[in-house]
Amino acid sequence: MATTATINITSSDLMPGSSLNVSANTTLTKAGVTADLDQKESGVIKLVTGTEYRLGPLATEMSGDAHDISSYLYICNNTTEDATYYVDWGINETMIGRLYAGDWMFIPWNASDDAAEIELEPQGGTNIIEYCFFNSDFILPTAAS
Amino acid sequence: MATTNASVTINSDISSYPITISKTMTMTKGANPSVGLEETTGLRTKKFTSDTAAVIVEADELTADAAHKVYIRNSSTSRANFFYVAYNASAAAAATAETIGKLYGGDWMLFPYNGSTNITVASSTTSETQFLEYMVFADGIVAAKG
Repeated sequence: MATTATINITSSDLMPGSSLNVSANTTLTKAGVTADLDQKESGVIKLVTGTEYRLGPLATEMSGDAHDISSYLYICNNTTEDATYYVDWGINETMIGRLYAGDWMFIPWNASDDAAEIELEPQGGTNIIEYCFFNSDFILPTAAS
Repeated sequence: MATTNASVTINSDISSYPITISKTMTMTKGANPSVGLEETTGLRTKKFTSDTAAVIVEADELTADAAHKVYIRNSSTSRANFFYVAYNASAAAAATAETIGKLYGGDWMLFPYNGSTNITVASSTTSETQFLEYMVFADGIVAAKG
């Protein structure tokens, strides 16, 4: 059950004296070991402006009481309506950056505490977000009796 | 105007139906998405022999609230060791606000960054040397004054 992630960054004119070609590949594994990750969650959502949204599971659902886990998150802003649209992304209401229409991001996420959810706040208009979590610790909420 | 493209390919057979994610983006300015990013810190390589937190991206050297992108790779090979990566002025640890995640040997990350707080890292080990590669694709660099 292998999951691999490859990146390639290229530019012939960002640094005119030296063409840029960065390439890396990694196999995503469980924390601290070489065993493959074995759970994932993915989806596509439309986010309208004016609200801050949690993306995917609660931090507690990702980790239970453990926290500080090994998981990975891919997010892509598939909005095509307007290139100026973006989502502010952050953790626990601390906004870290702007994911513009057409942009993608890939990060490790450790769900560091109960409040460390991944959060998105769309700007400009309705943003269409595609995402995928890869992990080994996802815990479903307990069903009500 | 420079053109910088970043492509990602993720393959996974966790599910019974394997998935492939493939996406390419051109890095552009926030205020003008039709113009490519023109500045960079360059690709840096840093050796870490202690677990003391260190700032690798200083927010005051970048235009605040802009459309920067940060690439970081743990170029070490051990899957037992990692770097904490945090959006924090000076700390990076398990529960630091806000630690983003743990970058194990061989792992990489690319994320949009607003340049409003430092990016800080800390190695998980003092017994093994780890290496980090990182680069900022900047939507405005504030040049240091002499």
